[in-house]
Amino acid sequence: MIMAQLYVVQSADFLFLQRQTQMTPGNLSAHLSKLEDAGYVEITKEFIDRKPHTALALTKKGRDAFKQYHRNIKKIAEKLPE
Amino acid sequence: MTEEPNLREIEKKAYMSYHQDGLLDIFVGVYVLGFGLGIWAERFFDPGFGSIMPAILVAALLPMWIQAKRKVTMPRIGFVKFGPRGTHRVHGLFIGLLMMGLAMAFAFTLTQGGSPLWLKTILQYGMILIGIVSLAICSLFGYSMGLRRLYAYGLLTLILFVSGHLIGIFFGYILLILGATVMVDGFALLISFVRKYPLQGEKTIVD
Repeated sequence: MIMAQLYVVQSADFLFLQRQTQMTPGNLSAHLSKLEDAGYVEITKEFIDRKPHTALALTKKGRDAFKQYHRNIKKIAEKLPE
Repeated sequence: MTEEPNLREIEKKAYMSYHQDGLLDIFVGVYVLGFGLGIWAERFFDPGFGSIMPAILVAALLPMWIQAKRKVTMPRIGFVKFGPRGTHRVHGLFIGLLMMGLAMAFAFTLTQGGSPLWLKTILQYGMILIGIVSLAICSLFGYSMGLRRLYAYGLLTLILFVSGHLIGIFFGYILLILGATVMVDGFALLISFVRKYPLQGEKTIVD
């Protein structure tokens, strides 16, 4: 879900991701840490209007991994009976 | 079993959530209202004033819209950078509004002086033409941006312009009615948005 949300945008901050996934902050944070450790998500701290905020974006590795996952799921779904 | 993620739907939902704040409606409403005022003011001041109104309005409103997004939407729904396609949709909308406004102002200015017969014929049914073109443009953007209310705005525009042509209502007044309607709808959406997405730390109605 997190990967899908980040795949369709260039980057998003924590609040946007939380609103879209409707996960609790703690839960989302835990998942993001794992994704960052796997090298799928990069977390950048930046300033917007002099306020700090955290930008999240998929890395190239993350985008490729998600594309592959999406392809695999589609193949499985196509083979399922009606 | 893991469901196949519908990426198109996810992207559309993300894009729609960012534009359900009503700000676009408010600024488009103000634009149309301002344009209508400019056309109306041409009756009393120098002609040509209404012709440059669209450009002035877009130049003034676009930075204000960006600031409003930063102050109102971003603190409530977060910050997102859509890909080039998403950004181009909004830019296209503003350019479309500017072009439409300039075309209408040009056509209106021509009616004030002498114009060729073929143009007079087109301008005779100009209101209906504008209504149809507006419906088409609103529908196009409604489809592209996933904002269904743009279809309603397009339909409203068509109804107002056709009625105006049949009843003989001054063009500027139609723009004033249209602009006011869209603006009021925008404010209603904004109030709903602010209640649905309070600033962090406040209780949400959804919860």
